[in-house]
Amino acid sequence: MKITQIQTTVEDHHIAKLAAIAIALHMVEAVIPSPIPGVKPGLANIVTLYVLYEYGFAATAWVSILRVFASSLLLGQFLSPTFALSLSGAVLSLAALWLAQHLPKKWFGPITLSILAAFAHIGGQLLLVRLWLIPHAGVAYLIPVFATAALGFGLMNGIITAKLISNKQKKSV
Amino acid sequence: MFKIFKSLVLVALCFALSACFKEPLYHSQSYVFGTLVDISIAGESDERASMLANHVMQDFQNLHNRLHAWKATVANQPSELGELNAAFSNGKTPLNIRPDLAQMLLEIRTLSEKSEGLFNPGIGQLIGLWGFQRDEFTAVTIDAPQIKALVKANPRMADIVVSNQSVYSNNSALKLDLGGYAKGYALDVAVAYLRQQGVKNALINIGGNVIALGQHGNKPWRVGIQHPRQPTAIATLDLADGWAIGTSGDYQRYFILNGQRYCHIIDPRTGYPAQHMQSVTVLVPPQAANKSQAGVLSDVVTKPIFIAGATQSSRLAQAFGIQDFMLIDEHAHITVSKQMAQKLHWVNADVKFTTLP
Amino acid sequence: MRMLNLQRYLKRLQCKRISAYFLPGDVMLLAIGVLGVFYLFQLLWSTEHATKVQIRLADKIYATYSLKLQREVHVPGKLGDTVINIANGKARFAQSPCQGQYCVHQAWLSLAGQAAICLPNQVSLELLGENKPYDSLNY
Repeated sequence: MKITQIQTTVEDHHIAKLAAIAIALHMVEAVIPSPIPGVKPGLANIVTLYVLYEYGFAATAWVSILRVFASSLLLGQFLSPTFALSLSGAVLSLAALWLAQHLPKKWFGPITLSILAAFAHIGGQLLLVRLWLIPHAGVAYLIPVFATAALGFGLMNGIITAKLISNKQKKSV
Repeated sequence: MFKIFKSLVLVALCFALSACFKEPLYHSQSYVFGTLVDISIAGESDERASMLANHVMQDFQNLHNRLHAWKATVANQPSELGELNAAFSNGKTPLNIRPDLAQMLLEIRTLSEKSEGLFNPGIGQLIGLWGFQRDEFTAVTIDAPQIKALVKANPRMADIVVSNQSVYSNNSALKLDLGGYAKGYALDVAVAYLRQQGVKNALINIGGNVIALGQHGNKPWRVGIQHPRQPTAIATLDLADGWAIGTSGDYQRYFILNGQRYCHIIDPRTGYPAQHMQSVTVLVPPQAANKSQAGVLSDVVTKPIFIAGATQSSRLAQAFGIQDFMLIDEHAHITVSKQMAQKLHWVNADVKFTTLP
Repeated sequence: MRMLNLQRYLKRLQCKRISAYFLPGDVMLLAIGVLGVFYLFQLLWSTEHATKVQIRLADKIYATYSLKLQREVHVPGKLGDTVINIANGKARFAQSPCQGQYCVHQAWLSLAGQAAICLPNQVSLELLGENKPYDSLNY
């Protein structure tokens, strides 16, 4: 029998570890009930952003999509509306990050990226809700609530990410 | 950086506060013209606004007494219009009238011509026959032969002969009912008075016809358009300085007989109430000084469109230089002119409507 | 040894304030975000449900009531008593001495800015709320 050995690097291991943390955070949030349905801190986005700063966009996309698929499989929600919502949010926020990574680093830090990603995330989800799940205008009423949550949690996650990155940099110096 | 943060919070706070702050707004309601009159004046002291609003209400009451189509004055004298109608029915005896009334008759004649005779205040007898010259409307027994006779008599505004201030009619069947004109005229009178008194911002609503002066705070006056079948607005729009809006509907003055709705707008060609519309709304821009003013047009132009229906609407509106209008037909189908569609904010975002090219 | 590490870590935390993580662009974006959220609230939460009903009789304000408390109001108009019901954030003409009964057919009103009028008896209802969707009604 021939065993194919896939060559993995240290970096691969790091990314895998981070993806595992993201999945864990995602699942913890999925299990803990939220006071307003649909409003969640999105702590997994801290990991996503961290990966973007440390390993680049390709790794970020992997971690983010892997998280959506793995958590929905583990929670038994694969291909359910919840899964579709998470995927549409993740895809749109990746798109926002892809655009935002070109912003001048001198002026825009993790906080900007985090807020933009949070808005894109909720935007993607609301778009899907409006087009597919609840196709009437009633959703509009909820937009300001979700936007406030996106701004608040985006800011919080951005600050945490900024802290993580600066700690990492200090350690490596 | 913390300083920037603080100032940011301050800016956000000011923004939130300015949204709540409102300049003084005086509001007064009264019943004139057999309907509700509503005057809002912004940016004046309560005292002055109240004085001005009372003056306007008094003007309205005077106009109402002079132009009333069927009620006598308090002293049991016929109104000015009543006297005129009596003279018309007596044949060609000329009557001396006040210059502003003569001016009104000439203006109404021009408007009636422009509407191809569909706006015809000369059919007062038909309006009375259908029971719409009363304070409350109850079903009448339809007198078909009499209706036929009145249509055949064909009273038209062109039958009225005005020379200087003396007036007579070539048609003894002509009886004026200025129900589709007086409220609009009153709006223009009020706006002229308030402007002359230096009022910058006011909104006047006479029985649903609304005219705007200036704006409300830092935003234009906003007007809701009544849904013809529900107790709510169907849409809202901003009414800029000098603009007026008018609606004719089958839901305010009507009666139901054998399951059929009969509204107060009578087609002079058939003598029967127009039955193919629920409501017609026109939005009128400010007019040049030598022409019919926005208030009058907002009252008048809805009638011919209501009678003639959607197919004629663009042409009729155009004849009066109006580009913004909305029609709701008997099947609740909504048609909106292209210009109007850009100005309306629908209350129900999913509303279906057709836009005219 | 471990204690020392923790102490050093805490020291590092203290010396860096949260504001140090903000770059100028971040502050700008945050400002835009705050204004944007305010705008969204203004834009989408304007047709607020009414909180009060104002009853007018002829030229005067007859009474203003909260819509929260259930009550029946008798308004003495020139034709007779108009009865108005208020309940569960709504108000309506329940009975009227007028012929047409159009006011009664208006049914329940619940949104700020909605109004019903009884012309013969000169009684009107207007619902008041935090945000009025319009200044006046065209009908």
